[in-house]
Amino acid sequence: MNQNKEFSGQEIIDLPSVLERIGGDESFLRELIKIFLGEFDLKLRQLEKAAAEDDFRSIQEIGHNIKGSAANLSFLELQNVAYALETCGRLSDKFGCLENINKLKTARQKLLEQLKYFSWWKEE
Amino acid sequence: MVDSPVRILIAEDDRISGLILEHHIKKWGYETCLVHDGEQAWNIILSQPPEMALFDWMMPGINGLELCRRLRQSTDSLEGEYIYIILLTARDERADIIQGLEAGADDYITKPFDLLELKARLNAGRRIVELHRLLKRQATYDFLTSLLNRRTIIEQAEKEYMRAKREKRPLGFMLIDIDDFKKINDTFGHLAGDKILAVVAERLQRNIRSYDKIGRYGGDEILVLLPNCSSQELALIANRLRLCVQEEPIAINHHSLTISISAGGLTADHNSSLSLHELIALCDQALYQAKKKGRNQTFIIESIVLAKGEA
Repeated sequence: MNQNKEFSGQEIIDLPSVLERIGGDESFLRELIKIFLGEFDLKLRQLEKAAAEDDFRSIQEIGHNIKGSAANLSFLELQNVAYALETCGRLSDKFGCLENINKLKTARQKLLEQLKYFSWWKEE
Repeated sequence: MVDSPVRILIAEDDRISGLILEHHIKKWGYETCLVHDGEQAWNIILSQPPEMALFDWMMPGINGLELCRRLRQSTDSLEGEYIYIILLTARDERADIIQGLEAGADDYITKPFDLLELKARLNAGRRIVELHRLLKRQATYDFLTSLLNRRTIIEQAEKEYMRAKREKRPLGFMLIDIDDFKKINDTFGHLAGDKILAVVAERLQRNIRSYDKIGRYGGDEILVLLPNCSSQELALIANRLRLCVQEEPIAINHHSLTISISAGGLTADHNSSLSLHELIALCDQALYQAKKKGRNQTFIIESIVLAKGEA
């Protein structure tokens, strides 16, 4: 595993677990993460629109969807925030929704920082 | 005969999860088709039915459970093809599992799934699919000649005849038999007769067009269906088939036998009001005319007015 010694962000991404899930193929993982991030940005915009319109049902669905994809990639922090967002959507808790949408953005940023530690992520 | 890989349709709305599933399933030797909602899955089922399907239960639009129900109610549009379904679900309550199986799933696997368990469940499905392929093959092809059997070639003739009328195209029919086949059987025995029939069938099969259909009609009679074929083309093809059989002798019991065939045929145009039965009977008459010409001959009924009573 091409893992840098400085890496300690297990709470952000559980790398051994995701690599086991995809058979240890790091280039495939890179491809999946790129797809995830592309879709994530689109979903963030949809979430902001839904929050502005008090569309809690959409927030719940998108939260559920992000939670599933994040779980598959073992993005633990994103998975937890998405779960909290899904719950707030279900409870029509506007304040909670806005707070967790912001937390999603922060979690995304932390994930990107963390990924920089992996040599396979930098390879193009 | 090398069996082609089993085709699996994967319907999973979560793109990442779908890609991971596809990645593994491909690695295990299956041919995959990945879609992200029930609507797309249903379109694939109708246009290119897979042999196995892995449906996520929770999907927007048509969910996995509804897909199972629809599929099991659509045996007509699937023309008897059986699709082995595995339902992928986060629901593991007894009632949910029963609901899934009663909707038509053959098996289920709960999320998050274990890869080895998924592989084992797919393998269990593959065994059923391969058995289905074998039964289908036995029910479709003639054991001795590997041509379509009588039931299947007649079914195909009905379909092709309807299609020819719909598309306003001619359809050629040709009936072939081996000259002096009874004498061959009496002289060299039935095993020799079987071998000759198999070799002739193989030569004919090799020399028809890729979209023609050929089947054993009965005994040593072979029926060929030739879509979009004029009388002139039919005559050329009949002659080509005649030549391909006789050009190389067949070795039987230390003898080298030159075998010949006779062929009779006709082309039905799309205005034909004759029944399939009547067309095949006319083909039989054409074959009789070919025999009367002295064997190793072909006879095509030319420019026939294929309206009832005028043939």
